[in-house]
Amino acid sequence: MIDPLPLQVGIELLTHRYAYLLFALLLAIGLYIIIASSNLVKMIIGLNLFQTAIFLFFISTAYVTGGATPVIPKEAKAYDPFVSPLPQVIVLTAIVVGIALTAVALALIVRIYSAYGTLEEDTIREVRADE
Amino acid sequence: MSEHVVASYRPLAAVLVSALAVVLIIASHRRPNIREGWSVLAALTKFAIVASMAPGVLDGMEYRWSLGEFVFGIEFAFRADALGLLFAMLASFLWIFTAFYATGYMRGLDEHAQTRFFASFAASLSTAMGIAFAENLVVMFVFYELLSVVTYPLVAHDETEEARTAGRKYLAYTFFGGGFLVLGGSALVYWAAGTVQFGETAEGLRLLAETDPAIAQAIFAFLALGFGTKAAIMPLHSWLPDAMVAPTPVSGLLHAVAVVKSGAFGVARLLLDVYEPDLTVEIGMHLPLAALAAFTFLTASFIALRKDNLKRRLAYSTISQLSYIIMGIALLTPYGIVGGLLHIPAHAFMKLTLFFCAGAIHVETHTDDISDMAGIGKRMPLTMTAFTIAAAGMAGIPLVAGFVSKFYMLIGAVSMEAQLAGIIFAGSLILSGVLNIAYFWPVVYTAFFESEDEHDAKPLVDFPMGGTRESYGEEVAADGGEPGDEDESPHATDDDHHGDHEHDHHHHGPPPGGWERHKPWTESTWLMLMPIAVIVTGAVVLGVVPGMTGFLDLAIQISEAVLGTELGGVIG
Amino acid sequence: MSDPLVAAKLIPALLIVVPILAATLPLALGLRWERVGWYVTAIALAVEAALAGLLAYAIYGQGRRVVHVLGGKQFGRKDVMINGTPTEDFIVGIELVGDALSGLVVLVVAGVALAVLAYMRRAGPRGNAFYSGYLLLTGGLMGVAVTGDMFNLFVFLEITGLATYALVAADRSTDAAIAALKYLVIGTAGASMYLVGVGYLFVRTGTLNMVDLSRSLAGDPSWIDGALYADPLVAAAFGFVAAGLLTKAAIFPLHTWQPDAYAEAPDSVTVYISALVSTVAAYAFGRVALFVFTPDFFAANPALINGVLALAGASVVAGSALAATQRRIKRMFAYSSVAQFGLVVIAFAVAVHPASGDGAVRFGIYGAVFHLVAHAVIKGGLFATAGAIAAGDGSRRLSSYAGLARRRPFLSGAIAVLGLAIVGVPPTAGFVGKWYIAVAAVESGLWPVVGVVFASTVLTLLYVARILEKVYFDHRPDAVPDHGDASGEPTAGDATGGAVAADGGAPATRRVSLGMAAFVATAVVIAAVLGFGGAEIASALDPVVDAVQESAPAIEGVKTDAIWEVANNE
Repeated sequence: MIDPLPLQVGIELLTHRYAYLLFALLLAIGLYIIIASSNLVKMIIGLNLFQTAIFLFFISTAYVTGGATPVIPKEAKAYDPFVSPLPQVIVLTAIVVGIALTAVALALIVRIYSAYGTLEEDTIREVRADE
Repeated sequence: MSEHVVASYRPLAAVLVSALAVVLIIASHRRPNIREGWSVLAALTKFAIVASMAPGVLDGMEYRWSLGEFVFGIEFAFRADALGLLFAMLASFLWIFTAFYATGYMRGLDEHAQTRFFASFAASLSTAMGIAFAENLVVMFVFYELLSVVTYPLVAHDETEEARTAGRKYLAYTFFGGGFLVLGGSALVYWAAGTVQFGETAEGLRLLAETDPAIAQAIFAFLALGFGTKAAIMPLHSWLPDAMVAPTPVSGLLHAVAVVKSGAFGVARLLLDVYEPDLTVEIGMHLPLAALAAFTFLTASFIALRKDNLKRRLAYSTISQLSYIIMGIALLTPYGIVGGLLHIPAHAFMKLTLFFCAGAIHVETHTDDISDMAGIGKRMPLTMTAFTIAAAGMAGIPLVAGFVSKFYMLIGAVSMEAQLAGIIFAGSLILSGVLNIAYFWPVVYTAFFESEDEHDAKPLVDFPMGGTRESYGEEVAADGGEPGDEDESPHATDDDHHGDHEHDHHHHGPPPGGWERHKPWTESTWLMLMPIAVIVTGAVVLGVVPGMTGFLDLAIQISEAVLGTELGGVIG
Repeated sequence: MSDPLVAAKLIPALLIVVPILAATLPLALGLRWERVGWYVTAIALAVEAALAGLLAYAIYGQGRRVVHVLGGKQFGRKDVMINGTPTEDFIVGIELVGDALSGLVVLVVAGVALAVLAYMRRAGPRGNAFYSGYLLLTGGLMGVAVTGDMFNLFVFLEITGLATYALVAADRSTDAAIAALKYLVIGTAGASMYLVGVGYLFVRTGTLNMVDLSRSLAGDPSWIDGALYADPLVAAAFGFVAAGLLTKAAIFPLHTWQPDAYAEAPDSVTVYISALVSTVAAYAFGRVALFVFTPDFFAANPALINGVLALAGASVVAGSALAATQRRIKRMFAYSSVAQFGLVVIAFAVAVHPASGDGAVRFGIYGAVFHLVAHAVIKGGLFATAGAIAAGDGSRRLSSYAGLARRRPFLSGAIAVLGLAIVGVPPTAGFVGKWYIAVAAVESGLWPVVGVVFASTVLTLLYVARILEKVYFDHRPDAVPDHGDASGEPTAGDATGGAVAADGGAPATRRVSLGMAAFVATAVVIAAVLGFGGAEIASALDPVVDAVQESAPAIEGVKTDAIWEVANNE
C-alpha cells in the first residue's frame, strides 16, 4: 500500500507546481553542460540555460491566478488582484546582466579560438601542456 | 605590585635607542668605522638609560610609558619593574662589550654583509628591551615575535646551505613557540582573565582553575612551552645547536644571553606575574616544569660530553644552564627564585666569556674542534685562562658567579615542602655540576696540558676509559667519527666549516711547527681581548661580591615581592 | 550652511554613479583625444576618494548612518487600494547604506583604486577601453559595499565580475583569456547560485531589502506567523547565497578560478583584484550573515554555520599548503589569499555562531573587518612588489628571486615587511586581525576553529619563509636575473613569466616607475602603521557590534514594508 501523503505531495507538485520542476530540470541540465562539455561555446550555452532556469523561477513566483498587469491607470480605484511586478523587473535586469556576460565570454572565446584554432578544451589543454 | 608607578619615557627610550641605531647603521653602510661607532654609542646610551632606572627600581618604584590602546582593551605600554630591569640591565651591559668584540670578530674574518649583521644585532637588542619592559602579555608577544624575526638574518648569516637550514629550523621552532603557543596562550589568558596585564591575570585564572583546572593547566603549558622554546627546553631545544652556525658574537650575546634568556625571562614572567606562585602550586604545574627542566639539564650535559665542536659543546651547555634558571624559578621557594634569577646574569657573564674565547680561537687560528686544540694554551694564554675561569664557574666552583646562584638553588630545592622532590632536584643539580666539570675539563686539559703531537683522542667518552693516545692528524678525526651520525662527527663538522669560510684558510688546528707561543695581549686584537677580560672579571665579581652588583638585590626584591616573605639577612 | 544631511544622503548614490558614468568617458573622449583615459580615470577616482572621505566623516565623525533610497519616491494615492491597503506614502526604491561596516570598505576601495591607478601609470595595461573597465569595476565594488538590497547586490556582484573578467584578459595574452573564461564560468555559476538563494528568500518573504528581509525572517510583519528560521526554504536560501558569495571570495574548494586569474592577469590588475574583488565578496558574505540572516537564524540552523566554518578552516589549511608548493610568486600569493579569506570567513562565522557570547561576537566582527582591510593592503602591496620586481628584472619565479636583496634592496625589504605582515608578526596590521580572530575563536569555545586560527601563523610562515630565505640568503650564481628564468625549473604553463623574462630580460628596458615604488612604499607604511590602529578601528566598528548584539537592526530611515504579497499567500 502506498503512503498517501507523499503521493499527494507528488501530485500537487506535478499539477500545480510544475514550473518549479521545470526550473530544477533546466538548472540541472545547464549545470551538467557546464561541467561535462569540453566545447567552450557549449559551456557558455549551458551557463545561459542555467541562468534562464533561474529567470523562469522568478517569473513563476510572480504569477497570481487571474491577476492583472501591475500597471495602475490614473482613474483606477482598486486593482485586486494583480501579478507582482518585482520579479519581472528583476528578471529584466538579470537578462541584461546575462547578455553582457555572454558577450564577454564570447569575446574571450574568439580570442582563444584565434590563438589555438579550436574550441575544445581538451585540445587546448594538450597544446598548452606541449608548449 | 609596586606602590610607586612613575610615568617616564625611559623604558621607551631604552627600546628605541638601538632601533634608531639600526637606521643609522644602515645609513652609514659605506663607512664601517662610523657604522660600528653607532653600535657602541647606542650600547652605551642604552646601558646608561637602563642603569639610570636601577636606583629607583631598587627603591620600589616602577617606570611606565604608554602609547594608549593598542588593540581593543589592551594598552601598548612599557613598565620597568624589578624583573624587567634585571634582564634589561644584563642585556644592555653585555651589549657594550659585544659591540667591540663583534667589530673585532667580523673584521678579523672579513665577513660579508656586515651592515645587515650589525643592523640586525642592534634590532635584536631593541626587541630584547621590549620584552624586558613589556607591561602585558600581548606587548611581550609583539617583541618576542620581532626578536625571532630580527635574529633570523643573524642565524642564516653565512648564506650557506647549512646556515639556511639552521635558519629554517630556527624560524620553524621560534614561530611554533611564539606564533602558535605564546599567541594561543595569550589569547586564552585574555579569554579567561579579561586582561593580559602582568600581575592582574591571576584572579581570573584562579576562577577558571576552580571550575576547569584542566584548561588552566593547558594554558599554563601553552605559555611555558612557548617561552620554553626560546629557552631551548627539551624537546624543543634542537634549534639552538644548529644556530651555532651563526657568527660567534651572535652565539655569544644572542644565543647565550638575549634570545634564550628572553625565553627564560618569559617563563619567569609566567610563573611570577601571570599565574603567580600560589596558583601555579594550586594547579600543580611547578613540579612538572621543574622536572622537565631537570631532565633537560641532565640530558643536555650528557650530550655535551660527546660534542667535539667547541661551539656545539657550549650550545648544549647553554641548554643545560638555561634549564637551571627555569628549574630554580619553578621551585617557587624564596631561595629557589633568587637562585634562578641570579643565574640569569651569572650564566650570561660566564657563557659570554666562553663563547668569546671560542670566537677568538676561531678568528686567530681557525680552529673549531676540541681535538685540534691540544696545546693551544701557549698560543692564546689569556683567552684560555679566561675560558678556564668561566668553565669553573659553570661547574659551580666557588668565587665565580655560578657558585652563588647554584648555592641558592640548592637551598631552594631542599627547602621545598615536597621534600622528596626537593632532594631529587638538589641531587640532579649536584650531578649536573659534576657533568659540567666532565665536559669542560677536557678542553682546559687539552689546551694547557697536552701538546700538538701527542694528545688524547676526543671526545673522550667515545673511547675506552682513560682515553687513547693518538698523535695529531686527520686519522683522529676519522676515528672519532660516530657511525650513522655524520652530522655530529668531528670530521663532518670540519668539512662544513671549510664550506662556510672558503676564504679563511686551508688548514685548521696547529700550524705545522706547532703553536707559536704568544704573550697575553699579543694573541689577538684588543677589540676581542678587552671584552673577554672585562666579562670574565664581571663573572668573578659576581661570584666574590654578588651583593655589590645590584643583580642580587633585584633578585631578592622580586622574590620577596611575589612570595611576600622576607628573606632576612642571610644574603649579602 | 545648507543642510549637510541632505548632501550626505546623496553620497552613497554618487559613489556608484560617478565611476560608472565616468566609465563612458574614456571611450567617448578617446575618439577625439588618444591618451585621455588615464586622466579621466584619475579625476573620477579623485572625486570618488573625496566622496568616500566625506562619507567616512559623516559615519565615523558624526556617528550617522547615511541612507539613500535609489529612485526612492513616494508612490501611490489614498484612493488606490492594494489588497485592502491604501497605497499612499508607499516608498519604492533600492536602499544604499553607508554605515559603520560599509564605510570602511568604501574607504578601502576608493583608496586602493586611486593608488593602483598611480601604479599602472607606467606599469600598464593602457588603452581607453581598459580604463573604462577599471572605472566600471570600481563602481561595481562601491555598489557591493553600499547596497542594502539583495538583488541589487547580485547586480553589482555581476558588474564587478564582468569588469574583472575583462580586465584579467586585458593584456591580450591567451593564457589570460583562458584564465578569464574559467573565472567567468565559475563566477557566473556562483552568482547564479546566489540569485537562486535570493529567489527563495523572495518567495518566502516577498521582499529583497536587507532590513526588511531580516525582519520578515524574524517573523516581524503581521502576515508571517512566527519566525521563519526553521523553514527549510530559508535554510536552502542561505545555502545557495553562501555558496555564491564564497565562490566569489575564493574559499576552498570553490577557489579554483582564483590562482589562474591572479597569476595570468596583468600585474596592475592583479594588484587591484587581489586587494578588492574577493574582499567585497567576503564583506558581502559578512553583511548577509550578520544582518540578513542574523545570529538567530544560525541558532536555529547550527549545521549551516558549522559547515561554513569547516570550509573556511579547510581553506586556511589547504590554501597555505598549496601556497607553499608553488614555484611562481604570483600563484603563491594567490593561494595565500585563499587561506587569508578563510580566516576572514571564520571570523564572520564565529560572530554569528550560536556558541558565541557577546565577547566572541565583538571580536569576531573586529577581526573579520580588520583582517579584510589589512589583507587588502598587504596582499595588494605584495602583488605590487612582485609586479615591480618583474618589471625591474623579469623575475617571476621563486628560483629567480635568489639574491634579490642585493639587486633590489628596497623591493626586497618591501617583500620582507609585507610577508611578515601576512604571517601576522606584530606589530604589523596582519597581527591585529589575527589577534582579534584568535580571541573570538577562543571566546566562542569552538576548539577546532581555535586550533586552525592558532596554527595559521605557522602555516603562513611555510611559504613566506621560503621567499625570505631565497631573497636574502641564497646567492646561487645560476639565478642571476639576466639568465634567471631560463635556468629555473622548467614548468609547463609558464608562458607569461617566460615570455616577459625572455623579451623583457634586459633590466634596462622596463624600469620600476615612481608610481610603482610609491605604491609599494605606501602599502608597507600602512601595513606597519595600521598595526597600531587596532583600537581605533575597533571603536569605529562598535555600532556594528551593537546592532548585531541587539539582534534588531538599529535602523532608522526608510521602511519599505513588503506590501506586495506574492506567492506565499496563494
